[in-house]
Amino acid sequence: MARTKTTYDVFSAIGEPKRRALIEKLIVEEMSVNELVNAMQWRQPMVSKHLAVLKDVGIVTERRLGRSRIYQVRPEKLRPIQEWIHQFEKYWGGAMDQLDAYLEDIQRKGDRNDKQ
Amino acid sequence: MTNSKIEPSQIVREFNAPRQLVFDAWVNVEHLVNWMFPVQGCTCEYLSFDIKDDGSSLHKVTMPNGFEMWLLTKYEEVKAPEKLVFLQYMSNEAGEIVANERMPDWPKHMLATLHFEAVDDTRTKLTFLWEPRNPTSKELAVFEASRADHGKGWGAGMDQLARYIEAL
Repeated sequence: MARTKTTYDVFSAIGEPKRRALIEKLIVEEMSVNELVNAMQWRQPMVSKHLAVLKDVGIVTERRLGRSRIYQVRPEKLRPIQEWIHQFEKYWGGAMDQLDAYLEDIQRKGDRNDKQ
Repeated sequence: MTNSKIEPSQIVREFNAPRQLVFDAWVNVEHLVNWMFPVQGCTCEYLSFDIKDDGSSLHKVTMPNGFEMWLLTKYEEVKAPEKLVFLQYMSNEAGEIVANERMPDWPKHMLATLHFEAVDDTRTKLTFLWEPRNPTSKELAVFEASRADHGKGWGAGMDQLARYIEAL
């Protein structure tokens, strides 16, 4: 079966663990491909392949420094992800805080009633 | 269809209340309206409810800033006092499921499975599992990417990323 070219968006781009690892490295400091190859201990084509996807969706941009290209993360591109990353914990964790407070509340009232 | 590759997200919490009461808080509307919202200062109203196996409910959460959202819950298993299984959707006020325009690939069907265990007579452990049901590969990628605890270092990376983004 012929493979069609995969199209990526920010979400699918970070679905791949190796690309997340690259983002984590580049968030700390900008690096060239060679520096990434050393830091990650991956082969250069692997680094370049994943970098290309991240560049495609705008998470990573490059600038020229002499003869090399330096890559950096554009964190604002990750904001949509950030917004729902904590959806589960924020929403349900928050709801369970409410439940906790509510259960305390009604049981305290119950105790008071018992004593009356 | 089951997809054994999906690892649910999980929240485990212990409550200082007997198991039956904690369970009731999830299935009785008189309880639910008092807490079924993500932050203090919200109000919650149930427009319809039939909380039992194959039943459903529709509730409205009004955020402190006045923003309103409707949530449709389809209950699959209501087994007092130990287990609760439901699918929950963002909906409109008529209870029609609406897609999240800003997150087109967020899984459409999110399944919650809750296990209530008595620690002792006055304490209950709640395990809350949250996972997509029959997700497309794209939805699954989005869900996987959303885990704070996903893989080695990603959690810490996310914390750092969160701080970074907050500071922008």
